[in-house]
Order: sequence, then structure tokens, then C-alpha cells
Amino acid sequence: MKKKTNIKLYFLALLPFLIVVFLYEILPLLMMILSSFRSEVDKSILFTLDNYITAFTRLAYQRAIINSLKVTGISAFFGIVIGFIGAQAFHNSTGKIKNVFLTILNMVSNFAGVPLAFAYMIILGNSGVIIQFAKTYGLTALANFDLYTSTGLNLMYIYFQIPLATLLLVPAFYGIRQEWKEANLLLNGNGFTFWTKVGIPVLLPSIFGTLSVLFANALAAYATAYALLMNNYSLLAINITGMFTGDMTTRPHLGAALSVVMMLLMLAAILINNFINRQTSKWRWR
Amino acid sequence: MKPKIWSTLIIIIIIIYLLTPLVATATYSMFQKWTDIVPEGFTLKHYGDLLSNQAFMRSLGRTILVCIIPILITVTITLLALFVVTVYFPKLEKYVQILCMIPYTIQGVILSVSILSLYSGSRSFLGIRQVMLFGAYCIIILPYIYQGIRNSMHSINMPMLIEAAEMLGSSKLEAFIRIIVPNIISGITVSSLLAVGIIFGDYVIIRNITGSSFQNVQIFLFLAMKRSSTEASAVFVIIMLTTFLITALVLYVQSRDNRQKTESKGR
Repeated sequence: MKKKTNIKLYFLALLPFLIVVFLYEILPLLMMILSSFRSEVDKSILFTLDNYITAFTRLAYQRAIINSLKVTGISAFFGIVIGFIGAQAFHNSTGKIKNVFLTILNMVSNFAGVPLAFAYMIILGNSGVIIQFAKTYGLTALANFDLYTSTGLNLMYIYFQIPLATLLLVPAFYGIRQEWKEANLLLNGNGFTFWTKVGIPVLLPSIFGTLSVLFANALAAYATAYALLMNNYSLLAINITGMFTGDMTTRPHLGAALSVVMMLLMLAAILINNFINRQTSKWRWR
Repeated sequence: MKPKIWSTLIIIIIIIYLLTPLVATATYSMFQKWTDIVPEGFTLKHYGDLLSNQAFMRSLGRTILVCIIPILITVTITLLALFVVTVYFPKLEKYVQILCMIPYTIQGVILSVSILSLYSGSRSFLGIRQVMLFGAYCIIILPYIYQGIRNSMHSINMPMLIEAAEMLGSSKLEAFIRIIVPNIISGITVSSLLAVGIIFGDYVIIRNITGSSFQNVQIFLFLAMKRSSTEASAVFVIIMLTTFLITALVLYVQSRDNRQKTESKGR
């Protein structure tokens, strides 16, 4: 009998966790998914796919989805390439510079959102420091650079992806053994053959894992883009927010549908990553 | 020898690239004019103005408050849940993990709008904006707190320690509070600091849920940007300094922890 009351007591300790998670995670998500199937025009309709049809066929929302995927893809690509080069350089170097590099990467990895957009405006905005400098010295190509475009947005997204990508890839390089490099040399290989035939294949799971984090990171980013371009650029995160908190009319059900689309994109990134991980680990044990 | 020089060069280029926006903006905040290569008129006036600005100090205080409360709540509930689950209901561990990792895929934008649309019409205390904000912050930091606590619980072999304490006559709960928690306190500290970093850098959740009525420093910076770039640059420097301080603390606690681990292994 005593044991039974104890079990109840222990379950009580789990209760606060369950309450908070239920109230602020599960319930809001469920209601969001249900709400995405309700009609924006007729309140009595409880199930319709209208919002999803609008999300995929109306040009404005199509553009938001495409723009989001574009900036996410571009920034993840540059992020992973530069992160890879950076992590490799970290792996090959020795001494104090390694610690300095790691500390700076850690510090800068929190540098995103409104402060990042502001810093870019200060250096590359219309009267930014670098732009002024370029004007004074007649570097017209640089002086005509316009930060308030998708190019500027890409530039900032790439900036915040680099420290994250490097930090996530650094541990993976510890898996590359010195003996493999020596074996490669003995078999008449050079640096290029080592990386294409051995290094990158071994690192592939980490590379894809990092890519999925970068993807989620860029797709969900809001403040960076909003601080730079306000509502003048169509992105999934900006459109969703606008439908719930806009100054004009709010369209919560359409916003919910767009949110579900965004969640599905995130989920896809994670599932693809898991799939690749399983494939490569199978292949590794063969 | 050759690849080493290349690596150093690459590292230096990346460091310069990463630091340029930071250093430039910090320099900008300390001068009156910067139109040529060298800025002119060194001044700390922007900082003086800012620190005597009531609205700014209030937003700073609010930011600290919205950091502390959700972190305390999340750490407590996660600790209790993980303790009970690992000791009594190991079968539930998987589900707790899933619940803790979901916020990672939904992130700020979706979480904030879903909480807002669910509770904004409510007349009960759930409809209070600050309560909604705390709830959202508790969930958004959950994956980080969970991972930090779980990893350190795994690294100390919790069931064995509790069994040992029970043999010496203490209860499970007592063992948990007096033995487990002190042993994983650095893991808790690191994940709490990471959570401070996340809440401190948040713009979208607080903007969506409380609007500009309840400003944190990020919203203050956003509004200051529209007013004057020199004022904003001082806000920027204070935000970045705080963020760096948090990161430095994380790195310090982590390295101390690693050192202790290697030392105790050597013994």
C-alpha cells in the first residue's frame, strides 16, 4: 500500500513539467494545426483546405515560401563551405590561435537579429562607414552597394551561419586520424584525393547534421530580416507574424496554415538528415 | 610546415571578417563623426546619455527579470521531471525527450503566434501578456536546459549514486537534493547561461506577445535605430558586452569543469 502512494507522489513531481508543456507547447500547437483548417471567411466551416490552397497558389505567399527557401539555401551553402574551411584550418593549426579562434566563434555565435542588422547598416548602409570610404576613394562598385535588398539579406544570413557551422564542424574533425593521411600519402594520394576520397565521406554525417541545423536556423530567423527590411520583403517568418499581429486585419487561419508549412519544412530537414545518417552509418559498418 | 601557415592565414581572415561589423559599430559609438578613414571627435557622451535614460534602464531591468523567472521555472520542472523519470519511470524517458525537443523545431515565430492566438482572448490569468511571455520563454529554452541536465545526469551515473545514498540511510529525494544536484550544478549553470543568452537576444517572441508595451533591450535597440544611429550604437555595445560576458562565463565554467574531470581521472 505504501508503495502505491509513493508512486502517486512521484507522479506529482512530474506534474509541473507536464502542465507547462501542455499549456505552452502542446495545446498551442494543436490549436494552431486545427485552426489552419478553418475558414478565414465563414466561421461555421471547421474543415477546409482553402488556407493551404491560398498559401501555395497566391503569388504573394508563393514568393514568401520561395524567398525563404532561397535565403535559407544560399546562407546554408556558404555557411557550410566557409565553416568547413574554417574547421579544417582549426584542425591543422596548433597553439594559441586555436583558443582565440574558438573563443571568438563562441562569442559571435550569439550575434544575430536586431544587433546584427544594425551593425551591417552602420558599415554597409546608405551612409555606412565602408560605403563612405568607397565613395571618397572612387570605388564605384562598392559605393553603389545597396544593403536593403535580398543581396544584403543574404550577406547577413551568411554572417550568422558561419560561426555556427564552424563550431558544429570542429568536433567532427577529431574523427579524422593522422594514420589515414599517412596511408593516403603512401598510396601516392595528395591532399585533394584525401579529402575527396576519405575526408569528406567520413565527415558526411556531421556535414548533413550541421546543414539541417543551419537550415532551421535561417528558416526561423525573423529579427534580422525584419530589422533590415521591415515588411517590404516577403519571407515566411515575416508573413506569418504579420497575419497575427498586423496593424490592418489579421488573418489567423491563413497564418496558421503558413506556420504548418514552415513546421513541415523544418521537419523535412530533420527527417532527411536522419535518413542520411542511417544510410551512412549502415555503409560504415559494412 | 606549409599547411600550417595556410591554416593560420585562413583563421585570421575569418576572424577579421567576423569582427569587422562589431569593431566598426563599437568605434562608431565613441566618436562624433566618421566620414573619412579615421573617425573624429572621441566622446563618451552617447553612453552617458543612455545610462541616464530611464526608459533604457527600465528595459534592461525588464530583460533581466524575463531571463530569471522562466529559467528558474524551467530548471526546476525539468530537474524534477528527469529525476522522477530516470529513477521511477524509465519507460517514459523517450516521451519526455520528445516533448523537450519539439520546441527546437517550432522556434520563436510559430511558438509566439500560436500562444498569442490561443490565450489573447482569455479573461483568466492565462490571458495576461506577461504570463504568456513567461510560458513562451520556458518552452523556447526547454531543449537547451533539458540537454544540459540530461547530459550531466548521464555523466555521473545517477542510479548508482542514489542507491549508495539509500544504503547509507537517506531517502531517494534527499539523495537527489543533497548528492545529485550539487554534482550536476555546473551542467545546470552552463545550460542556464545559454538560456540567458537566448532570452537576452530574443526579439520576435516579446514583440509578438507583448508588443512594444513591454520593451526589452532588443526592442529598445530596434526603436532607437529609427531615432538616432549614435544612440543605437551605444545600446548595441551594451547588448554585445552583456552577451560576451555570458559566453565568457559559459566557457569559463565549462573549462573549469573539464579540468576537474581530468584531474579526478588522474588521481
